[in-house]
Amino acid sequence: MLELRHIEKYYNAGTVNEMCLFQDFNLTIKDHQFVSVVGSNGSGKTSMLNLICGSIPVDEGRILMNGKDITKLPEHKRLRSIGRVYQNPAMGTCPNMTILENMALADNKGKSFNLLPGTNRQRIDAYRESLKTLGLGLEDKLDVKVGVLSGGQRQAMALLMSTMTPIEFLILDEHTAALDPKTAETIMELTNKIVKEKQLTTIMVTHNLRYAVEYGNRLLMMHQGGIVIDKADEEKEEIQIDEILKKFNEISIECGN
Amino acid sequence: MITTIIGVLEEGLVYAIMALGVYITYTILDFPDLSVDSTFPLGAAVTAVAIIAGVPPILTLPLTFLAGAAAGCATGLIHVKLKVRDLLSGIIVMTALYSINLRIAGRANLPIFSQKTIFDSGLASKLPPSLAPFTVLIVLIILVVICKVVLDLYLKTKSGYLLRAAGDNEVLVTSLAKDKGTVKILGLAIANGFAALAGCVYCQQKGFFEISMGTGTMVIGLANVIIGTQLFKRVSFMKATTAVIIGSIIYKACVSIALSLGAIHIGRVTISLPITASDLKLATSVLFLIILVLGNRKGKKGKLHA
Amino acid sequence: MMKKTLPVLMAAAVAMNLLTGCVTIEPAETTAASTAQEETGSTQNASAESSSDSSQETSSDSYVIGIGQYAEHGSLDNCREGFLEGLAEEGIVEGENLTVYYENAQADGGTASQIFTNFAARDVDLFCAIATPMAQSAYSVAMKSDIPVIYTAVTDPVAAELANADGSSVGDITGTSDKLPVEQQLQMIREILPDAETIGIMYTTSEVNSQTTIEEYKAAAPDYGFTIVESGVSSSADIPLAADSLLSQVDCITNLTDNTVVASLPVILDKAAALNIPVFGSEIEQVRIGCLASMGLDYIELGKQTGRMAAKVLKGEAKASEMNYEVIQEASFYGNSAVAENLGITLPEDLTANAAEMFTEISQ
Repeated sequence: MLELRHIEKYYNAGTVNEMCLFQDFNLTIKDHQFVSVVGSNGSGKTSMLNLICGSIPVDEGRILMNGKDITKLPEHKRLRSIGRVYQNPAMGTCPNMTILENMALADNKGKSFNLLPGTNRQRIDAYRESLKTLGLGLEDKLDVKVGVLSGGQRQAMALLMSTMTPIEFLILDEHTAALDPKTAETIMELTNKIVKEKQLTTIMVTHNLRYAVEYGNRLLMMHQGGIVIDKADEEKEEIQIDEILKKFNEISIECGN
Repeated sequence: MITTIIGVLEEGLVYAIMALGVYITYTILDFPDLSVDSTFPLGAAVTAVAIIAGVPPILTLPLTFLAGAAAGCATGLIHVKLKVRDLLSGIIVMTALYSINLRIAGRANLPIFSQKTIFDSGLASKLPPSLAPFTVLIVLIILVVICKVVLDLYLKTKSGYLLRAAGDNEVLVTSLAKDKGTVKILGLAIANGFAALAGCVYCQQKGFFEISMGTGTMVIGLANVIIGTQLFKRVSFMKATTAVIIGSIIYKACVSIALSLGAIHIGRVTISLPITASDLKLATSVLFLIILVLGNRKGKKGKLHA
Repeated sequence: MMKKTLPVLMAAAVAMNLLTGCVTIEPAETTAASTAQEETGSTQNASAESSSDSSQETSSDSYVIGIGQYAEHGSLDNCREGFLEGLAEEGIVEGENLTVYYENAQADGGTASQIFTNFAARDVDLFCAIATPMAQSAYSVAMKSDIPVIYTAVTDPVAAELANADGSSVGDITGTSDKLPVEQQLQMIREILPDAETIGIMYTTSEVNSQTTIEEYKAAAPDYGFTIVESGVSSSADIPLAADSLLSQVDCITNLTDNTVVASLPVILDKAAALNIPVFGSEIEQVRIGCLASMGLDYIELGKQTGRMAAKVLKGEAKASEMNYEVIQEASFYGNSAVAENLGITLPEDLTANAAEMFTEISQ
């Protein structure tokens, strides 16, 4: 359960360029919900994710995770129970380390990074198994540096790595936006599979309205720091792409786009 | 000739220890750390004082590593906790250490000619007399190999993985629920530990501490790292640490060649170049340039074949 | 890699040579010693000991020396010049029976020891080291190669561990000290400025020579009724500010042989002249460029004295290890009447009458 209560967030506070992004923003996400978030550029989607993860501080309001106040908790501590995949495939992996080393790093999340060998030999087979589920043949390239892989391959690894250890929440920040349509499709299916398997509470920001409609059991449309559409479960099942697109165009015209 | 080669190897190996540290900050962490300019003489100052106080020479090695690591922590803390820019935090620590080094040594030049050092006590004194001209070299090789192997092993531990990740992709370190600031501080501590260790060895080899001995250490370290990694970037079986050590030796070889350019003896013919002592730095930098360009061209050919 | 690179470097060097039109390909017989070395070249590499033996055998009438100087600096250049003159006085003349290799470390300690390693590789008969860090580097190389070291411009050879407290040598190394005649300088200042109370001294904290001399000044000053005000700087960039603050506190300034401060002397002289405060020098060059007066060292003389010591060692008349280090006994007076006129001071006649040299103008 994730709650945002009365969130206020200003950019460039105190200057002439002061811009209010969120004013009394409220959102509650129940356990095991898969929320798709759509909205135009500048609507506050990514800022919301950053607030949840602690990448940027809130000005007012509180963030609760399972009832516990995490508003003051630094980013790296919050991420202990959160997995995050970024739009840029390079953000989720270490390009100069091998696939095996990357897997070992991810596997150690939440544990101590001590002077024991970085790669646990006994875990290699497990890594190979989970890489096999990607169907990209990465299991045979364990000693290849991640930097030489394609964007899709890297993003698949990033997804795998961020969900490798037990986490509760998965944050997907336009994670298919930088990929070609076919790869994006693969990654999206993979995401769905992992979320279902691990029963993760998920927030997915996307520009692809079809994904927003097809995947997940709750849909949010954001506009100027507010929520304009919020449909869950049965309501969401009934929603059609055309309907969202219409709403989307309406708010875009308002903005003069 | 053999004296020159031994000299170049000795000089190169001492600076190789420091270059391993610069490799951590510059290549792994992508942090331009200027504090090494002062942690190098810090190591020498601590060594000179410790040896005069009767500390067994071998113990000065871990001692100086710790002293350097503490200084590195200071740079890291200033950068991470006080949010001072990377270059500036290095400059602050470098400037402060100048005075601290003077305090530690008590004066600007502290000789230890009359004292026993790692080069003439312990294991080194047990070497057969026939190896006498090579004693310093042997001790240095052993030290450098130990440093290299330990660093290689460390980089393969979980902590080492995290350090490499911090330089490679800071965001991932945060995603792994680790504070990237702490990792940086750790890396700076290790790097400056190596710089101080190099100062320690340098002081014992040369027989004195001199406050100005660290001037330009960072630049030498960078040159060593870049020469090494550039030249051997296509040689996949060679570890970066090995490349850095060879880079250090090549750097010193360049200085040595520049020093010899005034009068080149080829058989019975002497070629006198119009190069005087004051042209040394120019000659050295031209040599670097030639080596780097040659390294690059070789690299391009490799790419075409691949 | 190096194998491939070396020929290219050589080719580049030769090409540079051709361009500048200074190709001097000469047979190596210029020195008997080097010819002999070429002939025994194959065996000479066996050990450092045998190579130094072979050079001694052939060094009866022709010599090779390596001079390593720490930095580019007027006084140090004078030392080198004097050194060669001193050798020449003893019949060892550069170009005739003496080959000189000269290198300058450009104030870089790492280069310093490489310079001597390179000299050792060329089998020189003697190292000449100018300034303290250079002498220490030379000594640490010499300990391995059995080459004698003659140093000069080392203020305190005892503190530098190059000599024992009684002046005897710690190894195959000896030379001359450029220790300042502190007492004579204070005596002179008292004579020129009977009413002065405070003397300012600026020095670089990194120069051990300066620190030793400051201590001496502080110890001796009360005997002459002076108080010393010191001002330490860490680089030449600090000097203008330090000079301003020092000049506001003192009646006059006296200089040491501090390399950094001496290099920036014109700045200090300029500021002092504006306030009409006399600046005393520590050697002839400083008086030439605008210090009022000095009881000081003539570095050319110091170099000559060193050269004569080196000649004894080269000729085999004495061993460096058996010679005590030497200092210049008599300090001489140098004065600048143009500066005195500007300040409105008359230099006492008993000083000017015995002056080693009086300058009547300020050279820039």
